[in-house]
Amino acid sequence: MEKRFGSFKRVGTIVVAAACMALTAGCSGGVAGGGNSDTGGALKFGMLAPFSGSESAFGEYMKNGATLAVDEINAAGGVNGQQIELIAEDEACDATTAVAGANKLVSQGVVASVGGYCSGATLPTLPIFLQAKIPMVIAAANSDDLVAAKQPNVFLVNGTGTQQAQAAVKFAEKSAAKSIYVIDEGDAYSTNLSKAFISQAKDAGLNVSGSTTVTPTDKDFSTDVDKMMKAGTDFVYYTGYYQAGSLVNHQAKAAGYKGIFLIGDGAVDAKFAEITGKGFTDNVYGTFTMTPDMLQDGGAWSAAYKDKFGTDPGPYALQSYNAVKVMAEGIKQAGSTDMDKVDAALHNLKDFSTASGSISFTEQGTLSDAKFVIVTIGPDGKFVLSDRLEG
Amino acid sequence: MTQIILNGLFVGSFYALVALGYSMVYGVIKLLNFAHGDIYMLGAFVGLVILTAFPGLGAGATIPVLMLVLLISMLASGFVGVGIERVAYRPLRSAPRLAVLITAVGMSFTLEYGIRQIFGPSPQAYPLRVTGDPLPVFDAQLSSAQLVLMVVAALLMAGLGLYVDRTREGRAMRAIALDQRASTLMGIDVNRTISRVFFIGSALAGAGGVMAGAFYGSVDFLMGFTIGLKAFTAAVIGGIGSLYGAMIGGLILGLLESFGTTWVGGEWRDVFSFACLILFLTFRPTGVLGTRVVERM
Repeated sequence: MEKRFGSFKRVGTIVVAAACMALTAGCSGGVAGGGNSDTGGALKFGMLAPFSGSESAFGEYMKNGATLAVDEINAAGGVNGQQIELIAEDEACDATTAVAGANKLVSQGVVASVGGYCSGATLPTLPIFLQAKIPMVIAAANSDDLVAAKQPNVFLVNGTGTQQAQAAVKFAEKSAAKSIYVIDEGDAYSTNLSKAFISQAKDAGLNVSGSTTVTPTDKDFSTDVDKMMKAGTDFVYYTGYYQAGSLVNHQAKAAGYKGIFLIGDGAVDAKFAEITGKGFTDNVYGTFTMTPDMLQDGGAWSAAYKDKFGTDPGPYALQSYNAVKVMAEGIKQAGSTDMDKVDAALHNLKDFSTASGSISFTEQGTLSDAKFVIVTIGPDGKFVLSDRLEG
Repeated sequence: MTQIILNGLFVGSFYALVALGYSMVYGVIKLLNFAHGDIYMLGAFVGLVILTAFPGLGAGATIPVLMLVLLISMLASGFVGVGIERVAYRPLRSAPRLAVLITAVGMSFTLEYGIRQIFGPSPQAYPLRVTGDPLPVFDAQLSSAQLVLMVVAALLMAGLGLYVDRTREGRAMRAIALDQRASTLMGIDVNRTISRVFFIGSALAGAGGVMAGAFYGSVDFLMGFTIGLKAFTAAVIGGIGSLYGAMIGGLILGLLESFGTTWVGGEWRDVFSFACLILFLTFRPTGVLGTRVVERM
């Protein structure tokens, strides 16, 4: 039964993909050919983001950020005379859901993909978009595995694990860490970050005394904490998410840990401080990409966001906004939605100005300058800028 | 070493509290109540609602407030447990065992995703936190909060032991476990006694949920899933159907995990503890205190 369904689905995908290839080809031909019947239709931008599951809070932020960019572009006359339409599908931070969502987007005729939150869920969607000849600007997912796939149509507007690890190593050197302990959660994102960090820290001559993997659905990490403290640790790098990270931090502090607790960007969230509790937030730092409030002209962007959606922008809203802007610019430069032309245009972007500073891409499709900074928990429990790591 | 044992015993006492409900229900009506872990989650959320509704409570003295919230949540989850039995299990009591098992799984999903619809998928910070200065125990540390929670768990379990061993109602439970039809003939109100079993088991799980929320600081709709499976395992190690077995099984599992984390690392913990279990059950399939005879509880 399952097998039959599987093969049916595969056939369905191929049919849909073929139909879509025909559609996009027709579409780009239309634009390049200088306006035939296709130019009236909107350019469909597809976005995969988590709208259910444990990460669902971020999906809404991503969609809002992207919507803001789409509305701005449309108000300014669209891309090459065409309006943009955003279609969001659920990825649920789950590979199966993400693949289904990607197929759905392809079948709806999207010409560009601007989503992607969980790396483990985004990875299996890469071949689907490649097969359908759709360029991707990935908004939030940042595992090095996405780069390692070496697909010409993949661009990341969020810094990768390697780039984030560089910031963490810099911070460890700055704070003169003597004995570093790394904790991950065993998923694609957190193991990627912890591995990148460990190898870079060793290259930098830092002492990594140990590492472990915790089960994020657990509540009690006292034995892991005990082991970490016995290793004489004064610097912890926790590369997972806030749900378990906040508990590990609490239990470490309760057991008398006084050193630095550095967390990766997946754990940087106001909920971290709320769950870890008052009196346990000392020496908590995070590696994070710049958020609007840390930027010079970020105030105006945040105000526009709040004006539209009634809430302050959350994590990855800005990255999603940037992803749409970058993709639109790529299509504009290419003068078409043809994947190869858009890819070439994106590679040629030189210091394209966005709300978080100028963006250009490396040959691998990663950011030339990822702009990771160090944040810490402010008096009201929100993360605030601590160190720009410049110079 | 002492620290590893203490950590294991602490986690184990949570497993034991939840395992008791599994074991009691199985002992009496031979049902694996897979919704039991979710009652634990429900208890934690009842506590969350009380504490959010009366924000003044969190500011008061921690331990008395915790006891009050614990009591209310135990009552609430106890009644939910009785309700679940009445709605989902009693009508199927004479149905094939497999049908009831599926109803239990369905009940589990209903509770989990019902709570998700109400409170959302993100974890909620618990308004009441029990924290305390670490107390030195030999060469290890145990926080006063951990001590309080372990004492509460031990008292609840001791109370249950006395209730089942010494009272009339307890004797009725043991009688039903032995032979349901004969018990009916002897004038025991079977339905009422089964409801009582569900009430007690669910109340203990609810107590565990509130204590976990107050100690660890966060609750989420899936928090009962993992602990439910672990508690079920604990009940089997101890010999399912046996009350003291469930308590011992919980502690054994907690210790195995704690030693596993220390010896082979967190990523290998479950491999280590469950490999030990497979080995153990191969040699003693009925568990520590389980018996081959029909008599249970």
